[in-house]
Amino acid sequence: MTRTDTAAADAPLIECRSVWKVFGDRSRDAIAAIKSKGLGKREVLSEFGCVVGVHDASFTVDKGEIFCIMGLSGSGKSTLIRLLNRLIDPSLGEVLVKGRMINDMPAPELRELRAHTIGMVFQNVALIPTRTVLENAAFGLEVQGIAPAERRRIATDALTRVGLADWLHRYPRELSGGMQQRVGLARAIAADPEIILMDEPFSALDPLIRRQLQDEFRQLTKQLGKSAVFITHDLDEAIRIGDRIAIMKDGAMVQTGTAEEIVMNPADQYVADFVAGISRIHLVKAGSVMMPIGDFNVAAVGALPTTGLDADIDALIHMVLASPQQAVAVVEGGNVRGIVTARTLLEGLKGDHAPPAKVA
Amino acid sequence: MDLTPWVEGFDAAVDRGMVWATDHGGVVFDLIRAALEGLFDLMVDGLLLVPFWLVAIAIGAVAGRVLGWKAGLATAAGLALCRVMGLWGATVETACLVLISVLLAVVVGVPVGVLAGYSPRLTRFLDPVLDLIQTLPPYIYLLPAIAFLGYGPATAIVATFVVALPPVIRLSAHGFRMTPVEFIELGQATGAKPVDAFLKIRVPFALPSVMAGINQSLMMAFGMVVIAGIVGSGGLGETIYGAVRKLDIALSVNAAIAIVILTIIIDRMSQAASSNGGKP
Repeated sequence: MTRTDTAAADAPLIECRSVWKVFGDRSRDAIAAIKSKGLGKREVLSEFGCVVGVHDASFTVDKGEIFCIMGLSGSGKSTLIRLLNRLIDPSLGEVLVKGRMINDMPAPELRELRAHTIGMVFQNVALIPTRTVLENAAFGLEVQGIAPAERRRIATDALTRVGLADWLHRYPRELSGGMQQRVGLARAIAADPEIILMDEPFSALDPLIRRQLQDEFRQLTKQLGKSAVFITHDLDEAIRIGDRIAIMKDGAMVQTGTAEEIVMNPADQYVADFVAGISRIHLVKAGSVMMPIGDFNVAAVGALPTTGLDADIDALIHMVLASPQQAVAVVEGGNVRGIVTARTLLEGLKGDHAPPAKVA
Repeated sequence: MDLTPWVEGFDAAVDRGMVWATDHGGVVFDLIRAALEGLFDLMVDGLLLVPFWLVAIAIGAVAGRVLGWKAGLATAAGLALCRVMGLWGATVETACLVLISVLLAVVVGVPVGVLAGYSPRLTRFLDPVLDLIQTLPPYIYLLPAIAFLGYGPATAIVATFVVALPPVIRLSAHGFRMTPVEFIELGQATGAKPVDAFLKIRVPFALPSVMAGINQSLMMAFGMVVIAGIVGSGGLGETIYGAVRKLDIALSVNAAIAIVILTIIIDRMSQAASSNGGKP
């Protein structure tokens, strides 16, 4: 099984259709020109003095999915995530949440949507310094008008989930950065939203704490059945957390796909440079490194040990080493789909061979 | 070119305006005067009704709580010194003038400051006005006040209020303008209603700045309230004014000491309140 687009029957949770955000005094004129003449980012800047924050972004986020948007600073990712709960209004294009257009949603409905459907976690956490950890975690519930006893119960529950049950009555300044960010996460999940927007939440943390939080976040999100849009400037983080990853550059989405797809088939040199340093050992799966059976001695195939399409290179190395023929058959639905040998493994690790056509 | 007629014309217009205002607004000004003097008398008489030692102990205890026991003792001792110098009554009057003026400045200045914090346009309008108020010599405000409200504490309170107002507006506006953007986003992203976003996010962040504004306002008021001795404000200002006229240097020094004591007590207590404003 590969984690490609699962175009489900029901509407995607979030859908962006050709969304643009243009900043500047003459953004209105610039938008008109983009609409009528199809101007690009550079022309918009030179002709109208306007900065294009988001350049024609289209994507969907499905239910239960963690969608990572990876880009360097200035790539427009923070602007893009703010378009999803309309902290920033799009200049052009449509943003749909659960099939509903939010572009022109009236204020009360938008508040409802933000209170119940879309939570947000901020890079600098934004814990109110005069409130205790518990009061901070209960903030969203408090502004929804939920009774004190009830919101304390829910917030305590959320804080327990992120491992802060012993810190309820401390103040944010008494907590480490990682713990503060957990409070931010607890505040978001306490409101029980379907989607959590994560705006570079772990960027300021040291590497060890960061990895720990990444794993916890992924686990918690999956366990609670939430969906998330996760912004990061760190491809390793995106790979660890995301079901799918979008790479942004200069406001545009350069490539969208699973970690494996992006690492194996970078869309352009920019993405290729990014993925060059990524360890493939857990990322690349049998389906990507196997060679067609035709190249192999057909008679011997039956004797090979077998594995599935999504066995990673680490597992394959062990199997190939243990196999007398130094090869493993990759099986899907009872049929042998390809063969992995020491040679194909090395090619897969090296990364610049032309991968075989996708079998899935 | 001789501009004298122009100047004279301007002066005449100002005079006519004043006369018109006193003629037509007499009732209003009488009301204001009665209200301010009533409040002033009520506070002063009330405080003087209580035995001195009780007031000194009570204020000392409050100072002790917020600033530590040494400060509490020093406060009570300072007040006792005012009493020993025979200036207790004047000290109480001065404290009441300052507190009423600053209270008015807070009641008017904080809401204006909040609006200015939200509205750059209002800020652009207010800035030159506040600059003007703060640049003019403070006793300028005594003249129109005395014309409308006559000789006495009401005039002193109004003039002091004018001087005490700008810092409250400025620092309140600053406080509300300076809410960190991520917290404003937090309010929006959690679906907070505007009133909640104001009370639960803007106010906690603005409070330290507002309190600093009130502290500054108190200090400005102390400066003004002495000058207001000229218009029969009562209190230490008038004591000093009288002593200067009679060249009674000893008395003027005593009154100055009493003012210093009172200023330090109120300054330290309001500072403590303002530095606690931002913390739990």
